[in-house]
Amino acid sequence: MNPKLLIAASAMVALVAGCATKKGFEQPGFAFGCPIGDAKVASMDDLVKAKTMAEGRRTTIQATEMRCSKSGDLLRIDANLNNDSKNVKRISYKFRWIDREGMRAWDEEPWKPAMLYENSNLVINTISPTNKAADFRLILRSEE
Amino acid sequence: MKLCVALLAVLLVTGCAKEQTRYGDARAVETVTNQYGSTDLQMMAESMARSMLQAPVIASSNLPIVTVQEVRNKTSEYIDTRAITDSIRAELQKGGRVRFAVDQAGMNPQVDELKRQQSDLYAKDQRVEMGQMVGAQYRLEGNIISIVKQVKDTKDVYYKLNLQLWNIRNGLLEWSDEKEIRKTTTRG
Repeated sequence: MNPKLLIAASAMVALVAGCATKKGFEQPGFAFGCPIGDAKVASMDDLVKAKTMAEGRRTTIQATEMRCSKSGDLLRIDANLNNDSKNVKRISYKFRWIDREGMRAWDEEPWKPAMLYENSNLVINTISPTNKAADFRLILRSEE
Repeated sequence: MKLCVALLAVLLVTGCAKEQTRYGDARAVETVTNQYGSTDLQMMAESMARSMLQAPVIASSNLPIVTVQEVRNKTSEYIDTRAITDSIRAELQKGGRVRFAVDQAGMNPQVDELKRQQSDLYAKDQRVEMGQMVGAQYRLEGNIISIVKQVKDTKDVYYKLNLQLWNIRNGLLEWSDEKEIRKTTTRG
């Protein structure tokens, strides 16, 4: 094989592989596997901001990453919570499920308590309770 | 004079002991004591129902028929384990993924009603036929245990709920999961 052709072919393969990041496989209306509708989500920070809410007492615990995937027709969610303080933090959280029309797809979930050690991460995960849930919000509050 | 002082004291005490009743959030985190409480029940039921949704026999969307059997309470306190399975059943039924067959606890009222409808009091063409009940394909059962440790000012309680979904036909375990909860109370 012509060495020039081989180099050119290798360069093409490297270029294609380089472009094939996770984002390249996303369907329209999804970011990191999570449904975003028409919202502009260019980064993980944008996604976390769009999907996380605070209710009640504010907490310093931040969601730093969020990933979603489909399990059949249900939505699986992994959210990474970060405690960058030097103290143990106690929070509670719940997910709110929203249907395609923007209405509640499910009853309000119970608040679930969680404890985060100092300078640590905690991954919380869940699955949508019904296939009517097309979107979600993660809601956090302080329990201190 | 003494009577006046006594009356004043009574008024003062009743005035201070003002009682107030308010509605609260039934889904809030409850930490009144470290005994089994509403938050534990809600967390266990939700966690187990969501886990069950991912079991292959349920995720396949063939509407499997399940009967709920006993969750044995092996803790040192009174826990209405029926409330846990009732909540799990309600969540799964609402999600439309599972059908539930009448369980042992509901069998007597079911049979009583079936028999009652066979009497001549009911129109023959509208009474339900005997022998049409559908048997379950799977049975849900489990255990809840607790480990309690206490020293002078600290009490630690650990709960573990284990649920299993058994295939009635072949005896295979189709799904099983656990939910753990730890609560620690310190005084002072």
